[in-house]
Amino acid sequence: MLKARPSRIAIAVGIALASCASMAQSTSEAELARKVDQLAAELAEVKAQLAAMKEKAAATAAAPAAPATPAQAATAAPPAAGGGQYALAPARPPSAEPDTVLTSYGELNYNRPRRASQDAQADLRRFVLGFQHRFDERTRIATEIEVEHAVSSADDAGEVEIEQAWIERDLTPRWSARAGLFLMPVGLLNENHEPTAYYGVERNFVETAIIPSTWREGGVQAIGRFDNGITLQAGVSTGFDLNKWDPASTEGAESPLGAIHQELSLARARNMAVFGALNWRGIPGLQLGGSVFTGKATQGQTTTDSRITLWDLHARWTPERWDLAALYARGSISNTAALNMPLVGNQTLIPKSFDGGYLQAAYRVWSHNDYALWPFVRVEAFNTARSFADLGAGLTPDRAPTERVVTVGANFQLTRGIVLKADYQRFRENRNADRFDLGLGWSF
Amino acid sequence: MNLRCLSLLACAVVPLILAGCGAGGGSSSDSTAAADTGLSPMAALGEKIFSDVSLSASGRQSCGTCHDPQHGHAPDNALPAQLGGPLMDLQGSRSTPGIGYLSFNTSFHFDAEGTPTGGFFWDGRAASFAAQAAEPFLNPVEMANGSRAEVIVRLERAAYAEEFKQLFGSDIFTRVDDAYERMTLAIQQYEKEDVDFRPFTSKYDEFLRGRVALGDQELRGLALFNSPTKGNCAACHPSGKGADGSFPLFTDFTYDTLGVPRNPELAQNADPDFFDLGLCARPAGDMAARTDLCGAFKVPSLRNVAVRKVFFHNGRFKTLKDTLSFYVQRDTDPQKWYPVGPDGKVKKFDDLPPQYHANVNTTEVPYNRQLGDAPALSDAEIDDVVAFLNTLTDGYAP
Repeated sequence: MLKARPSRIAIAVGIALASCASMAQSTSEAELARKVDQLAAELAEVKAQLAAMKEKAAATAAAPAAPATPAQAATAAPPAAGGGQYALAPARPPSAEPDTVLTSYGELNYNRPRRASQDAQADLRRFVLGFQHRFDERTRIATEIEVEHAVSSADDAGEVEIEQAWIERDLTPRWSARAGLFLMPVGLLNENHEPTAYYGVERNFVETAIIPSTWREGGVQAIGRFDNGITLQAGVSTGFDLNKWDPASTEGAESPLGAIHQELSLARARNMAVFGALNWRGIPGLQLGGSVFTGKATQGQTTTDSRITLWDLHARWTPERWDLAALYARGSISNTAALNMPLVGNQTLIPKSFDGGYLQAAYRVWSHNDYALWPFVRVEAFNTARSFADLGAGLTPDRAPTERVVTVGANFQLTRGIVLKADYQRFRENRNADRFDLGLGWSF
Repeated sequence: MNLRCLSLLACAVVPLILAGCGAGGGSSSDSTAAADTGLSPMAALGEKIFSDVSLSASGRQSCGTCHDPQHGHAPDNALPAQLGGPLMDLQGSRSTPGIGYLSFNTSFHFDAEGTPTGGFFWDGRAASFAAQAAEPFLNPVEMANGSRAEVIVRLERAAYAEEFKQLFGSDIFTRVDDAYERMTLAIQQYEKEDVDFRPFTSKYDEFLRGRVALGDQELRGLALFNSPTKGNCAACHPSGKGADGSFPLFTDFTYDTLGVPRNPELAQNADPDFFDLGLCARPAGDMAARTDLCGAFKVPSLRNVAVRKVFFHNGRFKTLKDTLSFYVQRDTDPQKWYPVGPDGKVKKFDDLPPQYHANVNTTEVPYNRQLGDAPALSDAEIDDVVAFLNTLTDGYAP
């Protein structure tokens, strides 16, 4: 958009000058001089406008978190390079953009376990509709409503949920305030979870089992975007509810925090949490960042207080055709000995700590027009029960084995905003989980 | 209504001045009782009815006779079924269930997964406390009144009859059905209001409150109780707090078919053709078509189970140790629990006709064992679980 405007101006100037030469043959010199002066003045004005626009364009380019919505992303840009649909988009719109924008993303997945093909499953995993609306140049709202598993009813497994509903106001050119139900600024995926934004049919395990993506909380946060490429986020939000822990189910072993998140649905809010995130994008193509979240989680329901803390470090580098990423996340829950004592003997006790990390490399082997093919490999290691507090001999559960998953596959960009995916996942511990995956996703 | 309120108010205030409301002023004691116990007038009246032996044909049996508050609202004897009738010599057909913590119960229904749930009595045939309370008064082997009218005649002679009239109208005794239903409603109100029916004062409750620690053996017992591969007791008797902070009731109010051995102590079992089929054989016949539920009985709460003297619907076992041993050895050592036939074969599930043996739960731990397997719990582990069950008795004092 910003490039188109100067081009049109240059063409206009050229036409004007051509017209000027033509006219010189049929008018007097005085008339010609007057017209030349007039055109010169107009040209000077156009140059001034052009310089102003260039300056503005340069300032926007320097902004660290310019959104890479599918429509804006370069044709062969790596998925999610620079942020997701809503990530820290500035409130001031390009002048041609409407005040209200409809957004959507979705994914259809097919999973076929290698050793248990009878468990093969096809699923409309997510269908999401959202809108963004700008109330004025400094204030906007963003929302998403999601349907999981195609059908949601009393007899079906699907869910309907509000994934985002927040309002953001620019306070200064660098600082904004956001309030509502928002995605937590943790890791690489949580805020950028559209299927076009990550490699592989399924989201990675570390950012689902350890970081409970899509993780959102209700609260307020301040967002600072600085010229040196630093983005700072900090706020106060709702947190987890350990009273929801079900020791008889395996949910807590699959994702300790996913089992007790509240999603702002009648959330217990006696104990509010605090969080912060810092990302640096000072070098084009490079992102380095980290986050921390901490808050009490028994919500005054028990005499035992417990604090949940989760932190992560992440990096992403996209030199030339490469897209490289690394992430480590670790969570801990305090006072689990007291909390677990009444639960002894159950299959899933509350872990003291859990962690995981991954390395990922993708390479754009081919691109043509909008087409782009990105083979990738991802190696993950994660443990949802790295340690348990001591409950005494015979009562303390064994820590869980660390699962290692290697995912090999490719993303194929059909056109901007549409991706086809295929991969194979190999599990070192749970060998029966080895599977082939196919996926179709979109985002706009 | 206003007159009644004024009357109650007067009787509440006048004693402060006159130190009494007169011999005929039943409302005086009513108001005083309400003030002392925190019960509403109807509940306070229900308490009196609950413990009034004069409402039985024998003159010796009330609700409280079998539902003794000192024993977890269960009998203080080891009879498999209580004696009743006009001469207190007729044996009932099933053991007396405890009635504590039943204010959290629901009426009978099938849940979303088709599991029978709720209801009162061992077969869930009563939909409420009131419906449950209506039956023993007329049961020939319990309080043995010949009719509702007979009960109301006895009620009219009671010391609290005047309170009953004040609450329900001076002509209430002339309307027998109305009086009978209000009598059962008063009992229901008492069972709902009086926290003695749900005190949550056991050692385990204190443990959940973080005020006391369980001993080593009790903790081991809890772990075995919860473990899905050992006792697996919590599958039907949940032991953990709810997500809303509610304390566990140690029952999910469902039903199960356990194949409990026939109890020769029950007179009805002298007839070899008689079988107590439980859920599918409710008197109303409403479940007759569900033959897959023949032999199923309600899962009782285990709160105060250690003060009970008999266990299961037919009172077949008299100690917790035997009860737990049966659970874990039913299939591994059936000869210990069932008679051996002339052919030398053990007659498993001998209290059910053969066509219903398939209804017996043989899939869940600890019932999923085979002959000769090791039981899910060892003898020492059973002792541990018994130690834990002893922490569920209300009235714990450190």
